[in-house]
Amino acid sequence: MELILSLLQQMCVYLVLAYMLSKTPLFLPILSISSHRKHRYLVYVVFSSFCILGTYFGLQIDDAIANTRAIGAVIGGLLGGPVVGFAVGLTGGLHRYSLGGFTDVACAISTTLEGLIGGLMHVYYVRKNKSLDIFNPWKVGVITFIAELFQMAILLTVAEPFEKSYALVSAIAAPMVIANSVGAALFISILSDKKTIFEKYSATFSRRALTIADRSVGVLTSGFTPVNAEKVARIIYEETNVGAVAITDKEKILAFIGTGADHHLPNTPISSSSTMESLNNNKIVHLDGAERPYQCTLNKNCPLGSVLIIPLHSGSEVVGTIKLYEPKRKFMSTVTLSMAEGIAQLLSSQIVYGAYQQQKDLLSQSEIKLLHAQVNPHFLFNALNTISAIIRRDPKRARELVLSLSRFFRINLKQNTAVVTLKEEINHVNAYLAIEKARFAERLQVAIKCDDAAMSALLPSFTLQPLVENAVKHGISQRIEGGLLTLNVRCTPDNHIHILVEDDAGLYKPQKEQHAGLGMDIVDKRLVHQFGQQSGLVIEYRTNQFTRMSFSIPHTYHHEG
Amino acid sequence: MTKNSAFRALVIDDEPLAREELCQLLNETNEVQVLAEAANAIEGLTLVKQHCPDVIFLDIEMPQLSGLDMLAMLDLDTMPYVVLVTAFEQYALQAFEDNAFDYLLKPVEPERLNKTLTRLKKRTQPQTDIDAIAPTTLLHIPCVGHQRILLLPESDIHFAYSDVAGVHVKTLEQQADTQLTLKTLEERTALVRCHRQYLVRLSCVAEVKLLDNGLATLLMKTGDSVPVSRRYLKKLKALLEL
Repeated sequence: MELILSLLQQMCVYLVLAYMLSKTPLFLPILSISSHRKHRYLVYVVFSSFCILGTYFGLQIDDAIANTRAIGAVIGGLLGGPVVGFAVGLTGGLHRYSLGGFTDVACAISTTLEGLIGGLMHVYYVRKNKSLDIFNPWKVGVITFIAELFQMAILLTVAEPFEKSYALVSAIAAPMVIANSVGAALFISILSDKKTIFEKYSATFSRRALTIADRSVGVLTSGFTPVNAEKVARIIYEETNVGAVAITDKEKILAFIGTGADHHLPNTPISSSSTMESLNNNKIVHLDGAERPYQCTLNKNCPLGSVLIIPLHSGSEVVGTIKLYEPKRKFMSTVTLSMAEGIAQLLSSQIVYGAYQQQKDLLSQSEIKLLHAQVNPHFLFNALNTISAIIRRDPKRARELVLSLSRFFRINLKQNTAVVTLKEEINHVNAYLAIEKARFAERLQVAIKCDDAAMSALLPSFTLQPLVENAVKHGISQRIEGGLLTLNVRCTPDNHIHILVEDDAGLYKPQKEQHAGLGMDIVDKRLVHQFGQQSGLVIEYRTNQFTRMSFSIPHTYHHEG
Repeated sequence: MTKNSAFRALVIDDEPLAREELCQLLNETNEVQVLAEAANAIEGLTLVKQHCPDVIFLDIEMPQLSGLDMLAMLDLDTMPYVVLVTAFEQYALQAFEDNAFDYLLKPVEPERLNKTLTRLKKRTQPQTDIDAIAPTTLLHIPCVGHQRILLLPESDIHFAYSDVAGVHVKTLEQQADTQLTLKTLEERTALVRCHRQYLVRLSCVAEVKLLDNGLATLLMKTGDSVPVSRRYLKKLKALLEL
């Protein structure tokens, strides 16, 4: 009976150690069931130490030691697997062996076996997909119980002489079996409790963070405006239970929700110097109300007593702040502190995305507008000048040119269609070339070859005409002797259409002629946007010989009506 | 006004119909006699030299050398009255106006053309400051080679000289004739006068041989020797830091 008590005492020391272990950063990797080598090594070291401690804490009885070594061995095996269990057992066993006594061999063997049993149970649970059972104190207790029975059996069979070992076993069997089983069960229970608490804490934390993320998603993407800021501030206020939430831009308060809303009014300039400090230095300012007091600059009786100010970014630029307040009687929890940073990051990325999205929309709109605006006045007035010359001697031809010119402008002004048939694009090109041919006379030679089968294919509007205009404006018309413009449209065997615009002036200069470059850039972007990277504009040139612009589009059929 | 006392004009435009239209309008005024038409600035330079017109109608947008480039290449002493013609030159128009350059917009209105002719009759030669609208330094020198026109980069030219046949420029590889005068070249390039008939690029001088009686000879990297007259020797020495 006395033995039971002292062994239980020993076990308590053990459990205190287990509790301390659960306080260290070691416990999480130990508790995760993984086959990571580093993690297994850690389990081996920790539980071998427990095993050896168990021997040292043991009570000397007739040249033998009653001990709690089994706890370390079994749990080491359970957490680390058979190899680790065997190694922990062997280490503990060899250590026990080194201390001598008539049970030394038996103890060494039995401890190794206990580690192995733990390890085999680990394999069993993992295979059965019940790895959570490893942390079940009852099951651990039973396993240790059985392991201890094995130990007693080994003691009886291995230790000599039998009478002596029989006497020993009858004295220590019950205390050791009880102490080890209960100890192992409590040991694992302490570790798993800690694990549960930690997981619950992270789960609550993540759930709150995710709820905020989920509710606020997309709100700020339509712009960092007072309306959107108020929506977000309300969500954060509701989800974090802080005293008040404010969002500011760089000059004024965009939104304020919570205690003190009576005098912290949206759309008023930022009055607190700490907010300006956060904005200007791009850093988090925390006035905790204790070490750094917070006093509302607007109202002396303001109930708010502490504030956390976190800058919001759009890219690398600070665009505003988010402020969380707590009333005077309450301090800000650490959970709120760390979550607030996450919230600020979340909002920042939304602001960036919003800005990006808006820019993208603007860009495509302005691109189309730009293309329309690119009907350059030079072209228009030169065309009119040409027509006015032709009227004198060939009114019929002049009439044709006027029709070409109006056809050209009619297509140009069709602002709403993003996608047109190749036939329409060719019409646009023909109307344009009719004028240019009249202007430049024999200096502009044109060779057009088009596969009729390709005419129904769809492509973004303003893709072909700008290429032709570019070849005339920056190519052929810039050469004194003029040149030949070639337009080729052909169907390829792989069901694509290849379109080539070539001039033999060869005056293309990459990235130099800003204006021309921009026009070609837009054509390229529109093609890539519609058909993907493989349809981008390909530009080849040889100075003074040719400039070749080509692209390939998939042959999609267009059915009228 | 009779044809004899009419203004002698050149029309320089790269578009044939635009030339035709302007010539027609000019003829209709009965005050202008179009001597010739040029389809580009280089032809234009030749014609200006050949005809010494009273007035040139000069299109701005032309291949290789624009009307403004050509303006910079005209000899200031024999400069005709210049009327710039353009379809649309948003920003430049203001510049023309500010610098009292006469300009016409295409399509040309007869009333507007009459105004130009009225000004011309008063002989108010307003174009005093070509630099305000034309490039002050020439990047290319238009030259007439073997039946073709070429634009030599200014920096390739080692020296230029004039003789009875005209003005010649010499690069490392070739010699070519240009319509520009030595005076224009001196004013608008990095070439330096060393003799009444010679301009040299200082960085292309290989050797200076000082002779008696204040003369010298420059040995050029092209292998040619270029004379230095007494009048320019002192200035040249200073420039070469001798």
